[in-house]
Amino acid sequence: MASININISSLDGTLSAAEFKIAACAFSELWKKFNSALPQWSWLPSSRRPGIPFNHVEGYLSMENVILPGFDQVDHHKGHQIEKDEYSCSNVDEFIDDAIVVQDYCREVNHYDFHIVYSASYRVPVLYFRAYQSDGQTLVLDEIEKDIPPNSGKMLRESKWTFITQEEHPQLNRPWYTLHPCGTSDWMKLLLTNEASVAQGEVATNKYLVSWFSVVGQVFGLKIPFEMLDNIGAS
Amino acid sequence: MASETRKVVVHLRATGDAPILKQAKFKISGTDKFVKVIDFLRRQLHRETLFVYVNSAFSPNPDELVKDLYNNFGIDGKLVVNYACSMAWG
Repeated sequence: MASININISSLDGTLSAAEFKIAACAFSELWKKFNSALPQWSWLPSSRRPGIPFNHVEGYLSMENVILPGFDQVDHHKGHQIEKDEYSCSNVDEFIDDAIVVQDYCREVNHYDFHIVYSASYRVPVLYFRAYQSDGQTLVLDEIEKDIPPNSGKMLRESKWTFITQEEHPQLNRPWYTLHPCGTSDWMKLLLTNEASVAQGEVATNKYLVSWFSVVGQVFGLKIPFEMLDNIGAS
Repeated sequence: MASETRKVVVHLRATGDAPILKQAKFKISGTDKFVKVIDFLRRQLHRETLFVYVNSAFSPNPDELVKDLYNNFGIDGKLVVNYACSMAWG
């Protein structure tokens, strides 16, 4: 695995475009190894557009058709509520005629597409996403709020303009939702400055996106397997 | 059964301009979720938004069990949890 290390003295939580590509490839390889049951990240080359200078990043990471784990595990109270609802669903099925509204009780499964795109102005990875129902209809933020953990929903209501907003996807030129990148380099610097990296005097670029996703994934209730974290220490 | 009730020593370490706590070490049941550590810090520091992370360069999901974090990332018999007052978003 190709690796470039970032010197600890110049560590400010940002990445160059070339480092992003290395981090992206390392991240998708680790994801494949430890998250094989989930949809996979793939590197998509960006299309060259006439009149726009060639972008040397040449692409972005994409993981599509993801079903979120659901927030019932996070919130005990709600978890029980859902179990109860499902239970009553099956009861209804047994005793009364089949035309009863089972579908209304059981939650609609929504699908999420995630893209990790490098921002040349912030020099950090930025998450873009969109959500849609099984029939392809796209979801608005109010509907997305029901799929994400309660903490994220709360943040969405309180920080309306500084958390998730709709922006033009820089590669696709269509409106996608995005997580605001202004704080990213600050908390990435915190994450990457630890005893081991200080002792070694450098940070492996390979680790960057794993650390980054441990924060970003939480917004959607997506976890990083511990093995993936153990592994970045060794590589 | 013993492992069920085993307590984990959590060492809270301030980074950046976060205030240092009088009691930086406390014991918590391993079967508690990490969210309990986050909530404890929020109460102690009177802050809603905190950035909480462990030394192995990641921020644990609030849903993780403390004993799992300890078993994977504990050092010298304790789980070191760093906190900063910076916000992740916004």
